[in-house]
Amino acid sequence: MENEEDLCRAFAPRIRLYGLRHLRDEQAAADLVQQVLLIMIESLRAGKVRDLDKLPSFVLGTCRMVVLESRRGSSRRERLLEKYLPRDWAVSPEPLAGLDRLAPCLRALAERERTVIMLTFYEEHSSDMVGRSLGLSNENVRVIRHRALGHLRKCITGAAK
Amino acid sequence: MSCAHPIEPAALANYWLAELPSSEESALEEHLMGCESCARELEQIAALAAGIRALARQGALKMVLTQEFLDRVAKQGLRIRQYAVSPGGSVQCTVTSRDDFLVSRLAADLRGVERLDLVLCDAAGAELQRFADIPFRPAEDAHVFLNYPVSIARQEPAHTLVMKLLSVTPNEERLVGKYTFNHTPS
Repeated sequence: MENEEDLCRAFAPRIRLYGLRHLRDEQAAADLVQQVLLIMIESLRAGKVRDLDKLPSFVLGTCRMVVLESRRGSSRRERLLEKYLPRDWAVSPEPLAGLDRLAPCLRALAERERTVIMLTFYEEHSSDMVGRSLGLSNENVRVIRHRALGHLRKCITGAAK
Repeated sequence: MSCAHPIEPAALANYWLAELPSSEESALEEHLMGCESCARELEQIAALAAGIRALARQGALKMVLTQEFLDRVAKQGLRIRQYAVSPGGSVQCTVTSRDDFLVSRLAADLRGVERLDLVLCDAAGAELQRFADIPFRPAEDAHVFLNYPVSIARQEPAHTLVMKLLSVTPNEERLVGKYTFNHTPS
């Protein structure tokens, strides 16, 4: 059986992403990581999860539950923190290689691509909202966005090699 | 660790922007939670989004923006210095150390325009930079917003910058509006 620390290292980045996607806040996502890992450890030690192949589903279900609970204002965090983890425990996201090249890579995009990317990711706006703002259709925004992301990724990773 | 059934980058972007139907979103989340490789791909989109937000807040890019975008950054407490100019008009302008965004607001009648280029020229009319095929609303009372990076503007001496909006077709370029900015350091 993998040890608890390995499991925490494996799941922490994925829980953080789930948190960022649903809570749109780095601190809230970091809190979610701690809470879900604590519940995971508690459940493993209690023998509630025996089949590790089912652990991803268990962790995802826990993420969903904790996000719902946090929206209701209740939390088991403090009690669990006391029991299992040191207070300074945290997982830092891995930086994207070549991110320092982002500004020149954005400058290299076509105008429409740059504007669509900026409006989209500044506040994670849907293609519908961006389209209305620019007088473009949903589909058009998605096509431009997809093409722009491809150009950006190629530019950034190319520069990182 | 590679994935036998990697999620398409477009689907990951759609997921990140909450644009997937809930059934697809749920299935994708199941996959992501069990797949290190695809989670790393999503991590890249998240990092890209964070980097773009940071650059946007710095007003670091010379680019076309929208009124809605400027309204949002203003609500977040960033300071926007905006100069509105009508076609054929001119304005005295500057930038201070307190400004986060320096924006030119160009009014234009863009009805019937298919492709719009924004050209920056010096006082003699020589083209300095062209923004080809910019996004716009084809309306009678349209506006084009150009963010000019404050970090660049603060370094510039007194000078005149002319902006031109051009309606472009395969056969010709038609001047829609000419806007003159007389810049003085603060």
